[in-house]
Amino acid sequence: MNPFIQYVGFGIVTAAILAIAAVGFTLQYAVTNVLNLAYGAIMSIGALAAYAANSAGASIWLALVAGAASSAVVSVVLSRAVFEPFRRRGLQMFGMVIVTIALDLFISNGLLILAGSNPFSYNAQAGGTYHFVHMIFTGEQLAVIGIALVAMVGVRVVLQWTRLGRAMRATAADENLARVCGINTQLVKDAAWLLSGALCGVAGVVLGLSVSGWTVSTGDGLLITVVAAAIVGGIGQPYGAILGALLLGVATSLVGGFFNSSYTDITAFTILILFLIFRPTGLFSGVVKRRDVVV
Amino acid sequence: MGIQSGSRHLKTVGALGTIAVALAACGSQGSGSSANGSGGQSGPVTIGSFSTYTGPNASLGPEQIAGCYTAALLINKAGGVLGHQAACQAIDDRGDPADGVAAATKALATTSNFAGTLGPGGQATAVAPVFEKAKITMFADSGDSAFNHTTDTYFWRITPPDSSAGYAMALWAQHLGYTRGVAVFGETTTAQTSVPTLLRGFKKLGGNMVLTKLLVPGAPSYQSVAASVVAAHPQVIFTETDPQTAATFFKELLQLNNGKAIPIVGTQPTYTPQWQSAMGKAIGNANLSANYVALQPYAPPQGKAYLVFNAGLLSDKKQISNPSQWSADPYTMTDYDGTIVMALAMLKAHSIQPQVYNSAVMDITRPGPGKTLVYSFAEGKAALAKGKSIQYIGAGGIIEFNQWHNNSQPFSAVGYTTSSASRIAGIVSAPQVAQLAR
Repeated sequence: MNPFIQYVGFGIVTAAILAIAAVGFTLQYAVTNVLNLAYGAIMSIGALAAYAANSAGASIWLALVAGAASSAVVSVVLSRAVFEPFRRRGLQMFGMVIVTIALDLFISNGLLILAGSNPFSYNAQAGGTYHFVHMIFTGEQLAVIGIALVAMVGVRVVLQWTRLGRAMRATAADENLARVCGINTQLVKDAAWLLSGALCGVAGVVLGLSVSGWTVSTGDGLLITVVAAAIVGGIGQPYGAILGALLLGVATSLVGGFFNSSYTDITAFTILILFLIFRPTGLFSGVVKRRDVVV
Repeated sequence: MGIQSGSRHLKTVGALGTIAVALAACGSQGSGSSANGSGGQSGPVTIGSFSTYTGPNASLGPEQIAGCYTAALLINKAGGVLGHQAACQAIDDRGDPADGVAAATKALATTSNFAGTLGPGGQATAVAPVFEKAKITMFADSGDSAFNHTTDTYFWRITPPDSSAGYAMALWAQHLGYTRGVAVFGETTTAQTSVPTLLRGFKKLGGNMVLTKLLVPGAPSYQSVAASVVAAHPQVIFTETDPQTAATFFKELLQLNNGKAIPIVGTQPTYTPQWQSAMGKAIGNANLSANYVALQPYAPPQGKAYLVFNAGLLSDKKQISNPSQWSADPYTMTDYDGTIVMALAMLKAHSIQPQVYNSAVMDITRPGPGKTLVYSFAEGKAALAKGKSIQYIGAGGIIEFNQWHNNSQPFSAVGYTTSSASRIAGIVSAPQVAQLAR
């Protein structure tokens, strides 16, 4: 087996999880202008809700829906109850980031009290092992990649070919102008929180599926890489987030295989810093701008 | 898709996000600041249980405080210490040195009659100086080799250091005939302390450590590490990792090795109910039973002092969740012993203040001619009241501190049966460890 190709294969699985989370994160920021660092904790809420459903006898697929739904609802509630009131009071971006950090601590510690610190795992069949070129995937991992693909296509369809998607893009580009044009921007923002929250929940569940034992802090543990993927891709660019996730997923897998997994966070940060220095708008923003000009 | 957001902000968001994530990742607690509260005279005498209660190693705290609660219960049943009831207080270091220092400082500032502490453990190098400076007696369960020859007055260690655990792991692997090993350890201070002596000991015994890998807790996958381990064809894997990291890594390893489990020799922190549960689900109880042992300090669950400890432990269902899980746990036993020794030293010195009673600790545990052997706080209290000189024999066995306040113990190789019950696979003696360490 060629270890390089093998590690790339493992990186694709990590990238699939990262992509779902990073697309939700970047979409949320794009439409609502909130850099939500409580995102990891909301992933854990989704994972826990799915665990509750799965433990009650629901299949992992139904549990996935439960996880997505609960994170979506929590996101909308947080938006209405916390972020909107702060925004109306004129809180700027940095202040809002602090609010999200406080929320993250609040939710994480609340979950710790409610669910404890013991690891959880889903009742799901791992399936067989499948070989593709020099790559090895389990059935579980193929399912994770499949879920990521469906989620990405779904986001693409919503944003590109629905009225809601067009309204989201308009709101993201210029909220005031969108409002003047008759778009109910508050409703659009609610929809963005709902959609990105659902992606956040899905990411939490697939992360739980991927690791054998997860705790209420597992979602927070992935946050740094998720934010890095979103920024590397070009914050606010869902396609960019996918590319960023792929880059980071494969890079961290190669580093873990050839060197040590302790260098994975360093790798993610190094890539992030290099992008901030040499291409601060990210991988995808330039491409989009050129296309927009053509259109 | 072309969603464009506030383009003016684009260049600053990256930097802002990085700073904010770093802030979120670091998030440490503030600390209070006032005088040491150990000098008060009314109210209960408080023993701190300084350990990890949150995060990946959150199972360590309940293991430690179970020993404290049991001792406090029996101390109070025997009438308390110098007119004070004994109480235990959990102090959470959150598995982080900076958080540990903050928690210690806060406990010193806010705890009345703070007479001593169990721990620190993994954060000892950062936290022990704080307690030493405040003159608080510590019964540390740190394995850090930095304390092997400590001159700290208030630092006492009943359990052997991790450096000894590394040698014991190497000896056990040699006993099973393994000469080709891989070391896979978590990237935490506690996990790292036994690695150098494991590597040295294994090599000295003729073994070849073909690969050494670190695992960062919380990663979504360790497949590339698992693949490199499979490629190294080890006969044995030495490990210390938290439960969720271990479950993910070893499940992926099993899959990549075509369902064939590789024998595992772990450190004591892997021998917890949480680790067993997570690993049992990940690789199956049959694989865990056939292929896993952990080397832990040997505290035989037998003898007079153990029976007193176990009866007290099992009777305290109010404060201790599922107390029977700690019945054969050597750390719970030695934490119990630490609390009892502190209480007896207070009686001997006629003071609950550590700066007074600390010097009596050696006297309470040291053997000597004409000393009365006592196996519980009640026996010790009665003997001291009669003016006798005593030697306390602990639930974990005889305690004999050397000039560096360290105690030596043998190790047991422990594992699980297929029905998840504990089993002892064998013993590595203290002289064997000492000989390899030379």
